Amino acid sequence: MASQIALNTAPPRTDFKGPALVQARPLLKVRNLSISYGRQQVVHDVGFDIGHGESLALIGESGSGKSTIAKAVLRLLPNGATASGQVVFDEQDILSLSERRFRPLRGRDIGFVPQDPGNALNPVRTIGSQALEAAALTDERHPAARKALILETFAKVGLDNPQRVYESYPHQLSGGMLQRVLIALAILPRPSLLVADEPTSALDVTIQKRILELLSRLQEELDISLLLITHDLAIAGERAGSLVVLKGGVVQEAGRTSAVFSSPTSPYARKLHADVPALNPDRYAKLRDPGFARLADDRQAKISVEGVTKRFSVDGKVLTAVDDLSFSVAAGTTHALVGESGSGKTTTIRLLLALEEPESGSIRVSHDTVTSPGVSSLRSVWRHLQLVYQNPFTSLDPSWKVEQLIREPLDRFRIGSAAERSAAVQEALANVGLSADLLQRKPSALSGGQRQRVAIARALVLKPDVIVLDEPTSALDVSVQADIVEVLLSLQAKLGLTYVFVSHDLALVRQLAHTVSVMQRGRIVEHGTVHEIFGKPKHDYTLSLLSSIPSVRGEKVSAPAVRRVAQKELAL
Amino acid sequence: MSNAYLTYAGKRLGQAVIVILLAYIFTFVVVSILPGDPITSVLRNPQNGFSEQEIAEIIAAQGLDQPVLVQLWHSLSAFLTGDLGMSMRSNRPVATLIAEVLSSTLILASSGLAVALFLAFTVAYGTQVVPKKYGQGLLRAFPSLFLSTPNFVIGLFLIHLFGFQLRLFRVIEPDGFWATFFAAITIGIPFSAQIAEVLIANLDHEAEQDYAAVARSRGIAPRRLFATHLLKPAALPVVTVIALTVGELLGNSLITETVFGRTGIGSLVQRSVSTQDLPVLQAIVSLGAVIFVLVNLIADLLYPLLDPRVKIVVGRKRRHAAADDAALGLEAGAKP
Ligand SMILES: Nc1ncnc2c1ncn2[C@@H]1O[C@H](COP(=O)(O)OP(=O)(O)O)[C@@H](O)[C@H]1O
Ligand SMILES: [Mg+2]
Repeated sequence: MASQIALNTAPPRTDFKGPALVQARPLLKVRNLSISYGRQQVVHDVGFDIGHGESLALIGESGSGKSTIAKAVLRLLPNGATASGQVVFDEQDILSLSERRFRPLRGRDIGFVPQDPGNALNPVRTIGSQALEAAALTDERHPAARKALILETFAKVGLDNPQRVYESYPHQLSGGMLQRVLIALAILPRPSLLVADEPTSALDVTIQKRILELLSRLQEELDISLLLITHDLAIAGERAGSLVVLKGGVVQEAGRTSAVFSSPTSPYARKLHADVPALNPDRYAKLRDPGFARLADDRQAKISVEGVTKRFSVDGKVLTAVDDLSFSVAAGTTHALVGESGSGKTTTIRLLLALEEPESGSIRVSHDTVTSPGVSSLRSVWRHLQLVYQNPFTSLDPSWKVEQLIREPLDRFRIGSAAERSAAVQEALANVGLSADLLQRKPSALSGGQRQRVAIARALVLKPDVIVLDEPTSALDVSVQADIVEVLLSLQAKLGLTYVFVSHDLALVRQLAHTVSVMQRGRIVEHGTVHEIFGKPKHDYTLSLLSSIPSVRGEKVSAPAVRRVAQKELAL
Repeated sequence: MSNAYLTYAGKRLGQAVIVILLAYIFTFVVVSILPGDPITSVLRNPQNGFSEQEIAEIIAAQGLDQPVLVQLWHSLSAFLTGDLGMSMRSNRPVATLIAEVLSSTLILASSGLAVALFLAFTVAYGTQVVPKKYGQGLLRAFPSLFLSTPNFVIGLFLIHLFGFQLRLFRVIEPDGFWATFFAAITIGIPFSAQIAEVLIANLDHEAEQDYAAVARSRGIAPRRLFATHLLKPAALPVVTVIALTVGELLGNSLITETVFGRTGIGSLVQRSVSTQDLPVLQAIVSLGAVIFVLVNLIADLLYPLLDPRVKIVVGRKRRHAAADDAALGLEAGAKP
């Protein structure tokens, strides 16, 4: 019985006990839930339980149906979507309840924290006026008492100046603050269930960590049950008591977090586990390790940046985007630039590509000076140095075919005959592991991973020495990310490429970088080899960045450095 | 009121003045190069029976013997001091002629606007709260149905039905309440279709936003969701739509006046065109331009006050990374 409910995929696990998933009187009981948009079924026969005060994470890649399930629980499915099965909340079947009977449960019993805080509050109304809607769900009658309750809750979620927040419009607050506001509004009526749909994926890493901690803390403090939706297995592992792993709307695996992590049984959960950077710091050791030998060789510096400063003037104020920046990258190695958004990473890249001119300092790539050269030498810089953008969904012109996209740099620099160009395109395509029958397709007919491979092939076709990778995988699912990283590292091993890798994903940096510079407010606060930075971090900011790498509940923490960081944080 | 706003308002005001002046000059030039010489066709027209001496006086008074540029200068400087000149036909001040009929037209146009707003918001409200099975589709069909109906057709239909058949108003008394009411409806219906189209599209867009779902998750009922959340962001762009279509509103008012037989700017225009009374035409066209520019000025000045998201940026150049990448040819195959 239990196995049939919890695991709908073959082969059924007859040994499954699943205390977290099938309970006597759970708060939320989902059974045989199937959901279709029009004719297309996207959720197949899903079932799970959440007990009082417990947390369950629903994980899977994008499009696996996580949000659809959340919307079914919240009864926010759009018109045209049909759901069958049971979603029983506190003994009432949400799916068959009339809207009039369900409305009193909204907010009061079931709270919702959405994915993108930037879009989850009405942009033309003050935070306060929207908070009052949530306060109206409480027993508090007096307007003044309601406002006091709101301010108190704002303080509880760590908003420093509740009164100011109350009077602000959404666009006047940062994403992290908005997410705190949304959490405050959700917990204000004291619901017994909180549905959080990827509550941190739109936020900076260090803020992600704090928001997740806040959620966990409130969940325990207020004894709320949590349905946490995430694409990040590492986050799920750290935050949830039990897991449901979804793929294509079908449950692949379900159970206590510790059990799923220590012995995943389904092939998909195993692959997911292997693809998460935070859980597999040494996954690419074989491909990467030869690079460390090159670090020792000083003469091999491919890139050297010395004392570079760049200022912008904004509204009459001078903003130092990059301050006295120095680093060098040995040929054939990967240098990672890490830091929060706004720390100067993008400006650094733009300086490297000579898209900005520094006020002072010098930049050299392969002994060519990048700083203030004439146009002709700029072209030679760009032949040696190529850029791969963050988002493969917007960086490729949708009206071009793959073949044109990859060949275009050769055309622009007038390199080779037509036959040579076409051979170079074929070679680049083979290098990124795409088959030649994709050449005539347009980007819209490619998956995200394929598009990013095309973008890499485009960069490779000029045979550059250096490729700047600006968060090349942040728009991709973990499994696709793992494939792309594999491609990049094999290319480095094969062609001796030098990478400058910009990322805010510390776990990924730990997997693939040789050296790391940690940037904060335009300065490099710490730099060293990847082992030094992750093993013996010195700067507090580095520590706080590192602690954003999730560790796993109920499992031995895989990276010793992180545990030390956690202890050090406690001591601070 | 911030400094940035005052700077912005000053700039917009200056622009408005320049546009009005250019519009005046443009009309003057167009009117003066129009085929047909007003002196021969109006003054020497035997029907008018002016004597040679009277003609000479009028020519001197209007300055018609001066070079065009001098005429323009006189006319423009008079316009700036509020003097619209004398009618060529009736020898009365143009300002008086216009004042006699302006209020009738303005009353009609503003009632038309009121009808349009009422209809548009009612229909838009309906599309958000009426369930599919109770005729939401019908409400949604409203704008496209009326957008394509010329307003004189609606006018003739209303006159026929309510004037002749139901005798609700007397056709020979076009300024009565009911006659004005139906004239306003005639103007309002096609105009409301334009507003409703924008409004419904905006409401649908807003209703799909995350914040609407989050508000619903707080138990807000559809009607309150409409009133407290969706209406304001959806209605804000309507301010601009109204401002941009005010010319059309005035034009339709003139046509409707004629259809309903009302005295107003429409009849004055008709008379002045048939008698080539250039100073009157010049004044009316300029007046139209002034109204259009003023309404748009008000809309532009109001918008930043209504929409908290609009931040007025003075003199800051925005940096667009992708744009200069493209300029350098770095990512020619890449879309910014
Ligand atoms: N409103 C909708 N109409 C039609 N299809 C949708 C709609 N929303 C989501 N889908 C489809 O349903 C599937 C599951 O989507 P979703 O629940 O958003 O997944 P996830 O949250 O895991 O990324 C996807 O194939 C998606 O394209
Ligand atoms: Mg989702």
